[in-house]
Amino acid sequence: MSKAFFIDTSRCTACRGCQVACKEWHELPATKTRQRGTHQNPVDLNPYTYKLVRFREHKVNDTVKWNFFPDQCRHCLEAPCKDVADNYVKGAVVRDEETGAIIYTELTKQLPNKAFEEMRSDCPYDIPRRHDGTGLIVKCDMCIDRVSNGLLPMCVKTCPSGAMNFGARKEMLNMANKRLAVLKREYPKAQLVDEDDVNVIYLITEKPEFYHDFVLAQGFGAITRKAALAKLVSPVKAQLRPLQNLFA
Amino acid sequence: MTNHWIDIKNTDCALIMGSNAAEHHPICFKWVLKAKEERGAKIVHVDPKFSRTSARSDFHVPLRSGTDIPFLGGMIKYIIEKKKYFKEYVTEYTNASFIVNKKFAFKNGLFSGFNAKEKKYDKSSWKFDLDGKGVPKKDKTLKDSRCVFQLLKKHYDRYDLNKVSSITGVPKKEILRVYELFAATGSPKKAGTIMYALGWTQHTVGVQNIRASAIIQLLLGNIGIAGGGINALRGEPNVQGSTDHCILYHILPGYLGLPRANWPKLDDYLKANTPVSNDPASANWWQHKPKYMVSLLKGWFGDAATKENGFGYDWLPKGDKGGDYSYLWLFDKMYKGKIKGGSIWATNPAQSVPNSNKVRKAMENLDWLSMAEIHHNETTDFWHRPGADPKKIKTEVFLLPSCHRVEKEGSVSNSGRWLLWHHKATPPQGKSKSMGEIIVEIMNKVRSLYREQSGVFAEPILNLDWPNYYNAENMAKKINGYYTAGPKKGQQVPSFGALKDDGSTVCLNWLYAGSYTEEAGNKAKRRDYTQTPMQAKIGLYPKFSWNWPVNRRILYNRLSVDKNGRPWDPARTVIKWNGTKWEGDVPDGGWPPLATGKGRYPFIMRKEGHGQLFGPGRAEGPFPEHYEPIETPVKKHPFSKQLNNPCAKIMDSDADMRAKPADPRYPIVLTTYSLTEHWCGGGETRNVPWLLEAEPQLYVEMSPELAKEKGIKNGEVVAVESARGRVEAVAMVTIRIRPFKILGKTVHEIGMPFFAGWTTPGVGDATNRLCIAAGDPNTTIPEFKACCVNIKKATSITELA
Amino acid sequence: MEITRRGFVKLTGLGAASIALSQLGFDLGPAKAYAAGLKIKGAKEVISICPFCAVCCHFIAHVKDGKVINTEGDPGYPISEGALCAKGASMLPMINSDHRLLKPLYRAPYSDRWEEKSWDWMLTRLAQRMKDTRDNDFKRYNDKGETVNRVNSMFHLGSSQMDNEECAVVHQAMRALGIVHFDHQARI
Repeated sequence: MSKAFFIDTSRCTACRGCQVACKEWHELPATKTRQRGTHQNPVDLNPYTYKLVRFREHKVNDTVKWNFFPDQCRHCLEAPCKDVADNYVKGAVVRDEETGAIIYTELTKQLPNKAFEEMRSDCPYDIPRRHDGTGLIVKCDMCIDRVSNGLLPMCVKTCPSGAMNFGARKEMLNMANKRLAVLKREYPKAQLVDEDDVNVIYLITEKPEFYHDFVLAQGFGAITRKAALAKLVSPVKAQLRPLQNLFA
Repeated sequence: MTNHWIDIKNTDCALIMGSNAAEHHPICFKWVLKAKEERGAKIVHVDPKFSRTSARSDFHVPLRSGTDIPFLGGMIKYIIEKKKYFKEYVTEYTNASFIVNKKFAFKNGLFSGFNAKEKKYDKSSWKFDLDGKGVPKKDKTLKDSRCVFQLLKKHYDRYDLNKVSSITGVPKKEILRVYELFAATGSPKKAGTIMYALGWTQHTVGVQNIRASAIIQLLLGNIGIAGGGINALRGEPNVQGSTDHCILYHILPGYLGLPRANWPKLDDYLKANTPVSNDPASANWWQHKPKYMVSLLKGWFGDAATKENGFGYDWLPKGDKGGDYSYLWLFDKMYKGKIKGGSIWATNPAQSVPNSNKVRKAMENLDWLSMAEIHHNETTDFWHRPGADPKKIKTEVFLLPSCHRVEKEGSVSNSGRWLLWHHKATPPQGKSKSMGEIIVEIMNKVRSLYREQSGVFAEPILNLDWPNYYNAENMAKKINGYYTAGPKKGQQVPSFGALKDDGSTVCLNWLYAGSYTEEAGNKAKRRDYTQTPMQAKIGLYPKFSWNWPVNRRILYNRLSVDKNGRPWDPARTVIKWNGTKWEGDVPDGGWPPLATGKGRYPFIMRKEGHGQLFGPGRAEGPFPEHYEPIETPVKKHPFSKQLNNPCAKIMDSDADMRAKPADPRYPIVLTTYSLTEHWCGGGETRNVPWLLEAEPQLYVEMSPELAKEKGIKNGEVVAVESARGRVEAVAMVTIRIRPFKILGKTVHEIGMPFFAGWTTPGVGDATNRLCIAAGDPNTTIPEFKACCVNIKKATSITELA
Repeated sequence: MEITRRGFVKLTGLGAASIALSQLGFDLGPAKAYAAGLKIKGAKEVISICPFCAVCCHFIAHVKDGKVINTEGDPGYPISEGALCAKGASMLPMINSDHRLLKPLYRAPYSDRWEEKSWDWMLTRLAQRMKDTRDNDFKRYNDKGETVNRVNSMFHLGSSQMDNEECAVVHQAMRALGIVHFDHQARI
């Protein structure tokens, strides 16, 4: 039985314990950042940041909404990045049968840049990043060393608010659906994100674009994100533009 | 905290005001969310800016910094007028029924007895009328026009919605929304908690902000119950313990007052400081003060402490009557060249004291300075700060490396007063040492010098009961206390009940007596999760660690039951009388319930045993009254002609420039705060790359309206200026900050964190260079939360370059 | 991308786990391969307390060869139940920071630099300065002629970073010296 995360954004306080704990466990260095007029830092996922809390704010009927989205790899059941990598170097991206974790191995160094670009554009959530120096392609590894030893992934263990949860997929789905039912009463737009296709199940209470550009996989499973975005380009971009300006 | 972190889950309504709990105490917020999810509790955040706390609350109400008393005063009026108060609780357990002296009056924003020259009150009229036995006269119908309840009602009658709204900037509808929700907890079966922090204390009316909340909680019957209380979310690693041990000029360990020059002998001190009650039903716990004081002195001076020398009282330093020796005055004197040397340990005043430019300059007047630190910071390196010439600075500096907590053992006290032991993982790195080791070694050197050389008044130094080396476990034993004579000589005392005023016991802090006993050893190390089902229901772990006092987890818990010892809300029982004894938490004293005739009033620490709706102990009045911050964007306010706190302590050196009321040069209100990713002045966290990555530079949060007015774009560097200084910060233009409508005019407020300091390149420098050195008259806590500034786009950038 | 090295121990982590995996081969399956490489296996666990806000979250320090190699939340503390915020999750680089002060440093009057000195040298000199200031400025009486037995020109600030036991011993020392200018973070 594969494992899954349930990430309840309605409970997230953006304390960023998960972001930092991930770096601690993986011994990842900090990158040089600057204050750009938002709390979100680093700007985006990068080769040294596998987990990033995203911040987005907007007003609804003169009420301020501030959304936090602890972003990470979703460990897709059918991972497009693995499909791409398999075409180039077998074993560069593997799926661990026991946990369902999608793991990038040392062989990702051998993937040509073209393959990386394909992996990134095919990822419905824009997750993979490549390290310039070593050529490694990196992302969340589900703390598979910990999980295999019966420990929780570091981000889940560290989370104080109950936003991050981890366990058997069935159990997580159950938890997610129960919580969704409760939240639906107050937030009619509440939804689980792509829960049938991924092992990292997010619960959001507002429109996806009020959190982050890549919350939802558009046309996931059939077409790539690029294609999906191209198809939906006008409405999506129209909604995104004002938000992006706020955080420019 | 009157209650504790887990207890927040028991609430029906949490009013978070003067606190940004989710950002500054992130882990506690899970208990807030639990209350919300499991009990359907309402979470209300009242604060100038919309923060991560607001994001997870049911709703957020922005109010202008420095106007908490109008907001709370309006709530007091609402509770009384709408009869939302818990009548039996108010009548029986508070001083609502007490008759106040007829000379007591309030007029034009001032209470009776004000001395304008000294900025002090003669409080002789702020007292209760006594009956023939010396017990306060009461009218339990609460109808007497001189009873506290009627005076309270009259005082807050002026705090109507229009006035409150006009000065706080909160629309009336929003004000009412909060009042209705919170006042609903006045029902005996409802619990409301107030969570506050420095957002309330750091004002020239800081103490009265908290007094106002105490009045509300007493009216609603929310003190002493599970899910209730007034919860000061304490912010520093051991600020609870360091306060209990009173690293503060005005008190000795265990909250015993500093000896003063007008009490030359121990007997004078004890007579002046030990309250006497004539009411047999009042426990008047402080009547035991002599035992605590003598046991402390015996601990300090050992065999040299004898009855003849007042157990060493004669050797203690005495403050002048009314003398204030706190941070603000210290740096004022230092600036004026009156201070020669001293120690600054693990605190960074060049960064964290208001008007930091003055503080930094003042330090140049020191002949010598010793510091114990884990990193270089703005204080350790003040002598080569930007703009300073080391060749002109005389100060001799001793910088002592102190180790990390993980490299030593010892105890700390959390905000809920739990005593917690931390173990030593590794020896101190490099040549660093614990601060305990450092002080013991320094004093051993000083003692040797006094033995070898002649010296002035050497007795207190040579007579100290002082260890040869520092050992935390031994100190923990001594804090608990032991017998020095009699059959149990050498044994640990079981609790403060065993302490004596004849020198036969030692105890370095009576509050902690019972923490390290013969039978149980060091209780700070306990990890026993045993609970009764009743305790489990409210999340009480009586055997995990230990809690002062006497392992009581919820203070004032006798208020959670009626006079027969029955809990007001059986679903949330804290204690209950089973006919022969109390069950649940450790009650405030073991006496049976009041109705038996052998009980005691529940406020055992108060002379009269009752909660103080009328609080005559405060400097500026027995009822909180609205006064504007010392720097204010208005010239008047609707409650009286008295603009500022008449007793505020305001520094007045040539470096203490101030904006006038409604000064056109400084029209914007500045408030300051912390944030999750950095801790206080940032001296430690700026050296953690991941935290600096997440929050890399000083910023100033402002509304889009203000940004537009000033032509400032999000992410641009701006200069913020007050009468005292200029600070560079990155503009964070956000809808989370809103302009206020104050007395019909738009007033902008901006907010800045204070973690940035020049020793971390490119981060920015101290925000507190802008802040005003004015303090609350009771505590001298500075007004960090409100001053007046202006902002503009920075033309030259140095601090953030 | 610029990496900040200030205060960070070393960059060993990057890709370390995947190297182990490739060496073990894929037949084993990633989970098992990674399981073998758990860095905290065999480490001594010591409970300490986060040195920041007064929630006092407990953390476990994993110690190997006398060095803390990992820190994570202690699930046994009923308040935090193993959780930590961004600051608490940063304990490891706080402990093993190359920015830490590890030697006594002295700055002479009018000097523009720090000098390394021994503890004994520092404390002997400091004690003498304390004694001299105290002896010169000690006041037996105030202006009103009341007994005060204090030294007005010397002070001590700090700290809420100290343990209770340290606070107790510092308080005792300061009053013995005759200090009334005595304060700490609880007031600011």
